[in-house]
This record gives sequence, C-alpha cells and structure tokens, in this order.
Amino acid sequence: MKRIHASRWLLAGIAALALVAAACGSTGPSTSSNKGNITVAGFNFAESSILAELYAQALEHDGYTVTRKLRLGTREVVGPAIKSGQIDLYPGYAATDLEFYNSGAGEASGDVNATVQKLNIRLQSLGIEALNPSAAVDQNAFAVTKATAQKYNLTKLSDLAAVGNQLVLGAGPECPTRPFCLPGLEKTYGIHFKDFKALDTDGPATRAAFANGTIQVGLVFSSDSDLNKLGLVVLQDDKHLENADNVVPIIRTKVATDEVKSVLNKISAALDTKTLVTLNGQVELNHQDADAVARAFLQQHNYFA
Amino acid sequence: MAAALFLDAEPWVDWSWVSTHVPTVLGDLGQHVELTVISLAAGVVIALPLGVAAYRWTGLRLPTLGLFGAFYTIPSIALFALLIPYTGLTTATALIPLIGYNVLILVRNVIVGLDEVPRDVLDAADGMGYRPLARLLQVELPLALPAILAGVRVATVSTIGIVTITAVIGFGGLGALILQGLIESFHTPLVVGALMGVLVANFADVGLAAGQRWLLPWARSE
Amino acid sequence: MSFLEQVWRWFGDAQHWQGTDGVPTRLAEHLHLSAESVFIGALIALPIGIALGHYGRFGNLAINVSNTGRAVPSFGLLVIAFQVFGLGDGPIIIALTALAIPPMVTNSYVALREVDPDVKEAARGMGYRELAQLLRVELPLSVPLIMAGIRTSAVQVVATATLAALIAGGGFGRYIVDGLATQDYTKLFAGAVLVALLALATELSLSAAERALVPRGIRLQRAPTKRRATAFKTA
Repeated sequence: MKRIHASRWLLAGIAALALVAAACGSTGPSTSSNKGNITVAGFNFAESSILAELYAQALEHDGYTVTRKLRLGTREVVGPAIKSGQIDLYPGYAATDLEFYNSGAGEASGDVNATVQKLNIRLQSLGIEALNPSAAVDQNAFAVTKATAQKYNLTKLSDLAAVGNQLVLGAGPECPTRPFCLPGLEKTYGIHFKDFKALDTDGPATRAAFANGTIQVGLVFSSDSDLNKLGLVVLQDDKHLENADNVVPIIRTKVATDEVKSVLNKISAALDTKTLVTLNGQVELNHQDADAVARAFLQQHNYFA
Repeated sequence: MAAALFLDAEPWVDWSWVSTHVPTVLGDLGQHVELTVISLAAGVVIALPLGVAAYRWTGLRLPTLGLFGAFYTIPSIALFALLIPYTGLTTATALIPLIGYNVLILVRNVIVGLDEVPRDVLDAADGMGYRPLARLLQVELPLALPAILAGVRVATVSTIGIVTITAVIGFGGLGALILQGLIESFHTPLVVGALMGVLVANFADVGLAAGQRWLLPWARSE
Repeated sequence: MSFLEQVWRWFGDAQHWQGTDGVPTRLAEHLHLSAESVFIGALIALPIGIALGHYGRFGNLAINVSNTGRAVPSFGLLVIAFQVFGLGDGPIIIALTALAIPPMVTNSYVALREVDPDVKEAARGMGYRELAQLLRVELPLSVPLIMAGIRTSAVQVVATATLAALIAGGGFGRYIVDGLATQDYTKLFAGAVLVALLALATELSLSAAERALVPRGIRLQRAPTKRRATAFKTA
C-alpha cells in the first residue's frame, strides 16, 4: 500500500519544500545600484504616512534602498525604535520631539530654531540628529463640537477651566503622560476633566466618540483637513501650551550623509502648513494613497526631473 | 442599500481603488502567506519529535502541553509587543509566537493520533519483527497522520487569522490593509483585507483536506 | 529590579485596583463583553446546530458555513463592526458573537448526529414523541460535546476580546494596547497575564459546569470525548 502511494508522497514533499523555499526566498536583496539602506518610519496617522513617503521616494530616486515601516505607532514606539537602530528616519515635530527626548523638561518654546537647537543637543548622545525644520506646522489642538462650543461659550482653552469637570476628554492613551496633553492642561490652564477616555489621537475612534457624545473635548491635529466637515471647532491655545511643532526629519547620524541631508532639507523647504493641509485632504477626504499623494507632490516640484 | 450599511454612507468597495492597487494587495498577500507557511513548517518540524517523545514518555506530556499551553493562552498582540525590545521589528518577532501556537495544536494532535493507533496493530507489527524505530516510522506515524493533518488544517486557518494582528506592530500582510482602513476611515482596504483573509484561509483548508484525501485515500478525512 | 519583579509590584500597587482603569473595572468590562457574546451566540448557534443534527439535514452546509466563519480574521471583523455600527460595546459584542457561533454550531450538530441510532430507535419504540425524544433522550446524550463547543467558544472569545481595545473598547486589552502605546511594558505584561488567567478560569469553570451537567449514567458509561484540537486561536 505504501509503495503505490510513494510517488504521491514524493510529489507532496517536493511541493511542500518548494513552498517553504519560495516563502523564505521572497525577501531577497535588490540588485539595483545601491547607495545604502535606510528604514523610514511613520506614526499611525495619515499625515505622517505622507511625510514618510515624501522622504522615502526622494531618497529612492536618489539611489538609496528604502524600507518603509509606516503606521508604526506613537512616538513612544517610534522613539525607542530609532534609538535602537531598528529604524533610521522619521518625520518628527520639533517641540513634541524635544519634550519626548528630554523627558518632559519643558524646554520647548514658540521659537522653532531655538527648539530645534535644544533638540539636537538632546539627540546628540543618542547618535541621532534633527535636520532643518520645515515651515509646515502641525500642533496638538483641542477641539469641541460646535454644539458644545455654543453651549458653554467656548472659544479658547482657558474657557474650559470653569466647565472642565462636566466634560470628558478623549485622546490617545499616551495623553496622560505627555506634558503637552493632560498634565499641561491641568498645570497651565487649571482644567480638570470629568473623565479621560483612551482612544486614538485624532483617529477614527476619537471622531466616532465625538459623534455619539462619548467625549466632548478631543485631541486633534491642527493640520487636519476634515475638522470643519466633522463639525468640530478648535479652541485657541491662548496660554501657549503648544509650541513650535514644525515638521523636522529625525535621522540617525550614521545614515545622515551630506547627500541624504540635502535631499531631506530640500523637501522640508518646500513644505508649508497650507500645503500640508492640502495633502492631508487628498488622503483624508479623497481617500487617495499617501504614496500617490507624495509622488504627485514630488513630481510637481520637479524632484524626479 | 449596500451604501447604507456603513455609518458614513460610503460604498463598501471602491472598485477604482481595487483596480489600481492590485500589486499592493498581492504584495501584502504574499507577505501574509510567507509568514503563515514558515510558521507552520517550523511548527511541524518542532512538534513532530516533541509529540513523539511526549507520546513515548508520558511523563513529558504534562510539562510539554503545560508549557506550550500556557504560551497559547497569552493574546498574540501582547506577545508580539513584548518581543520587540528583544528581537526588534523583524520577522522573528512575528514568527516566534506563531510557531509557539502551532506547536501546541500540533503536539496535541500528534499525541492523540499516536494514542489512537489500535493496540492489535502494534502487536501485529511487533509480531512481524518491526524494531521500535521502524514501527514508529512505518506503522504508527502513518496511522496517526489523519489526526496530525487535521491539526495542520486547524493550525493553518488559525495562523492566517493571527498574522493579521502583526500589522499593529508594523508588519505587512493583509492586516496592513485592515489597519489602513481603520486609521483612514476608508472601507475598501478594510473589506479587501478581511475578505482576502477569509478566502485564503478557506482555500488553504479545502486544499489541505483535498491533499489529505489524495495522500491517504484509505483514511476517513476528519 | 527585574522585569518580573516590576510586574509583581504592578499587581501589588493598590492604585491599579481602583478607578476606571483598575483591574476590577477592566475585569467587569472584559467579562461583560465575553459573556454577552457567548450567551447571545449560544442562543443563536445551539438551536440551529441541534435542529440540524436532529433532522440530519443541511449538515454539510452548516459545517462549511461554520468553517468559513472561523476563517474570518477577528481583527478585520472588529474593525468592520466598528465602521458599520460605530463606537461602543454593541459593535464589539456583535463581532465577538459572530466569532463565538461557529464552534457551537459545529459541535452541537456533530453531538446530535453521533447519538446512537439504536437509542433513538428504542426511544421511538417506547413511545416518545419527537420533541420528547429530542429533549429527554438526544440532548442529555449530547451534553458533553455541546458543552465542549461552548467552552471552546468562550475561551476563544475571552482571548479575542483583548482586540476590542484597538477600537477603543474596554477590558484587559486596554492594558495591552495602552501599554504598547506608552511603552509601559510592565502594564502590557500585566494585561497579558490577566487575560491568560481569565481564559484559564473560563476553561476550568466551564469544564466543571460540564461535569455537573452530564447525567451521571452517561458519565459513567461513556469514554472521554476525544480532545482533538478543540482549541482554536483567533487572537
């Protein structure tokens, strides 16, 4: 009986081996001329994917082999990843990154150059550096629905001090530990919320929570393109809790050759807040792909010429 | 009608997105299958000798099943995350938990399969002069195959589902499509990713069942 | 201080046992999500499986649909439920219920099919009407396998409920997801331990319930049900 089916077993064995070999072999090395390998990461929101793609595609066009790790997570995940060398580059935000790497020492200010300078001091010992900041800014912003704003007469964050204990704040789970989030709201504005709901910063859960009334105040990003469409209004940061969150490439010094730096700085120079909002809109509202949006932008600005 | 199914009245599937993203989806599918196949192959390679040993030396059963069983109860997302500081953002981080889960399912089935071999068959083999190793390889294991292959089928479908979770720690696979759909509030990649997951798992299950019937036509398929 | 010591300390910290993020609250949330899903799933799955098994019809269809159900990636199902039904416990329970149904349908169908035809014949001969035959003869004989199906479902749901945290759900999954987002590995590990313990407790308590429910006569004469890969991991 075994002999009759030996041929079937042989075939099955060969097929299995071939499958495993194909699976193992599918991540072979690239054969194109290679100036070096760079791993680019992005946070888990659309704007970060766009920025990461801008960096990645420009570097690829320049001859580098780029590995992408998009939607990797929050800075609490991305930070350790770059510190340990698992990723080489990510699009950071000057003030928030500074306060992350200095463990919330409160050094950031509204002056972007001073902030980036202090950031570089902090990064140096880690073998990382921040390149030139862009004019594009994306700050943490706290929004409420138009209805809530009318009900409690809210236009700026200090207005929340009086009514905070009736409202629920929704933000990513990192908010209670970030100096620009919950601790900052309590210290600088004296706001104590009724409750905090761990959702996702400016993500689908936060938006859904606004929609069904689970939260009244939510953390969003100032460069979002769809706040108006969702009926949300941003409260003015009158005591300047949020600082210079300009987009800035954070890169490991080992891969930051002069050529890489010039490619990335060129992109930073071409970005401003208005452009960022437009690009975000293409992804958030029109559901275009981050990489397609990035490619179109680079082509428009003749990077691939 | 289909549009009304989602809260924001967007269609389930934007076919123009699908037609322009075939390479992306196939790439994600490829990564997904790769992780599944490697973790299954490794699981079989580890589980077979381990299962045979636990069958032979019953004292080994409790520690083996206990160790891998405890591992099995830990949610995969926790295991992936806990491994990152040690194994980094590499395939190893994804594979280690997957292989561990597969080993549990397969070891259990190897033991049950071997246990189910009728006593008189073993006696007959001994009577015919089979030495222990030969008896194991030529009599016991072949008879245990239906149970083992049933385990491979369950492990395959289970693994395909769990691989989607690796996307949460930055891996590709079909889970990346699901994650994109979640983060961008975009239905199409979500539906495509989930649907492909179901299709691949079913295809694998049916394929393995057919393969089992082809290789072991005398055995009743489970 | 070693990592395990840190985790031990985490459990020893009284603050972690109170408030909206405390263990009792999260336990209640996790149990609520899991128990409701298994309960509703049982209400749907058991009648279907039992009826199909009793009449012996459409069995293959039922099992195939069940197997397809098993093949749905739980992460995908939860996100779809979120996008269709929105935020909250309801959508999560809907998704978890869908995951709970397949093992219970399959097991109850097989359980009814495996009832010895001679026994059914004897019951008919003794004058049992159809419903009585089902309730007083077939079901008691099927209890072990049906309970095994419920047990498989329950353990699966408890593990999968951790993913609910990815769509802002509560439960022990919150410790894992929040721990990952804030790189608080102690919290993450504590969450994993809690889920594992809850899954184990679920398995043990339902095994005990099964032993209590199986009629003594059957327990004595029946060989233990073959435990063939009854566990199925969806998360």
